[in-house]
Amino acid sequence: MDGLFLIGGIVVVAALIVLVFVYYYNRIRVLGNRIEEAWAQIDVQLKKRYDLVPNLVETVKGYASHERAIFEKIAASRERMVSGGSREERMEASNALTGALRSLFAVAEAYPNLKASENFKLLQEQLEGIENKIAYARQFYNSSVLDYNNLITTIPGTWFAGGRQKHAFLEVPEAERAPVKVAF
Amino acid sequence: MGRLDVRDEMAKNRRASVLLIAVVAAIILVLAYTIAFLFAPEYLIVVLPFSLIFIAIYTYSSYMYGDQVVLSATGAVPAEGRDYIYLRDTVEGLSIAAGIALPKPYVIHSSEMNAFATGRDPEHASVAVTSGLIQELNRQELEGVISHEISHIRNRDIQFMTLVAVLVGLAAILSHVILRTFRYGGLIGGRRERRGRRGGGIEIIILVVGVILAIFAPILTRLVQFAVSRRREFLADASGAELSRYPEGLASALEKIMRHNQGKMDVSEAVSHLFFVDPNRSALDALYATHPPIQERIRRLRAM
Repeated sequence: MDGLFLIGGIVVVAALIVLVFVYYYNRIRVLGNRIEEAWAQIDVQLKKRYDLVPNLVETVKGYASHERAIFEKIAASRERMVSGGSREERMEASNALTGALRSLFAVAEAYPNLKASENFKLLQEQLEGIENKIAYARQFYNSSVLDYNNLITTIPGTWFAGGRQKHAFLEVPEAERAPVKVAF
Repeated sequence: MGRLDVRDEMAKNRRASVLLIAVVAAIILVLAYTIAFLFAPEYLIVVLPFSLIFIAIYTYSSYMYGDQVVLSATGAVPAEGRDYIYLRDTVEGLSIAAGIALPKPYVIHSSEMNAFATGRDPEHASVAVTSGLIQELNRQELEGVISHEISHIRNRDIQFMTLVAVLVGLAAILSHVILRTFRYGGLIGGRRERRGRRGGGIEIIILVVGVILAIFAPILTRLVQFAVSRRREFLADASGAELSRYPEGLASALEKIMRHNQGKMDVSEAVSHLFFVDPNRSALDALYATHPPIQERIRRLRAM
């Protein structure tokens, strides 16, 4: 009888350990996948923005073709935003693009015809919408990273993390909080 | 932390939905039994299985199509076209921030300022705002209101709240029928007394029970609304502020609404608890409100 109890006890404890392991393994996987999902959301918005920016530039060129410095800055950061690189680098490029677009919109203030153009207004509205969505998507990304990092660095999650590294946060650019200064 | 709380809320809402369906099913059964007993006692055996089938169909379609019922009952139309770009963008952005599927944006043409969310789960959700809300609020305020509605979706409040709306709607219809039966049933009861049929005492007891239920059915469901709405609204305010990262936007939206709304949206009481603020009463009639007082909501938001 005692032997049976002992074996039974060992089986129960082993089953519990397996269950806990499975739970934490899956939890870590789920939260890891959520980060990937969150990045995919950002990626979608970056690509939409990539496609939209040339339309805006063309529209503005029709009225203010000599603002070449801004166009070049926009083109450069637009390319960097989608061409490879790490997530941090692409977000950094996206932030640079945000800054460049703001200068463009500020410049547009000096061209009443451009400002009055329906096409320009629509593009501006769409681009601002995308910028907001990028900010929201980054917020979701960062809160997913926070959940993941908390899980794999606290007990008992850290016992099951198997040496997984913490994910990095996507930093909120200073420019997004402060008003943009534009030099004429 | 936030996410754990959300999972708690989801579980609570699921339990509440199941409980609600059970309670409503029981009430319908008793009412059907009472009506059958009064009009055609000899068919009781037929009536009961039919009412069970009816309950199954009704609760299922309330679950599946409750959002459509609510949307058409409030006169909401899909938000299409140039005028609603910002609305659509904000709904999409906040749903991304909340990590849920994109809800369908709707507009209600009304000068009152209000909004609601409905649907059975985040994958089948809709957000409706009034044109008055879009007109009167600035962007941060509108964002605040929508973040509140998106929180309702993410917490799965919408499932329970929509079920309450549709199932309460039925309770209201049935109570209406029973009130008519009360007048009519009195005559039948009298006739039966005269004919001296057996079981007259039981008949009267069931009649009384039925009448009491008929009177209490809407009151009970109103109590459910009372109990759930207030806590849910505060919670949605809080998690909405967490989403938009700007409690002041929501607070100042509430302030504008408090000054602007006349409480004359004229929507059915059965759906009023879904709304951001009570559509049928102004902030002054707080005594009868199904919603927490706006001042209190503003106070809590500003204290964050």
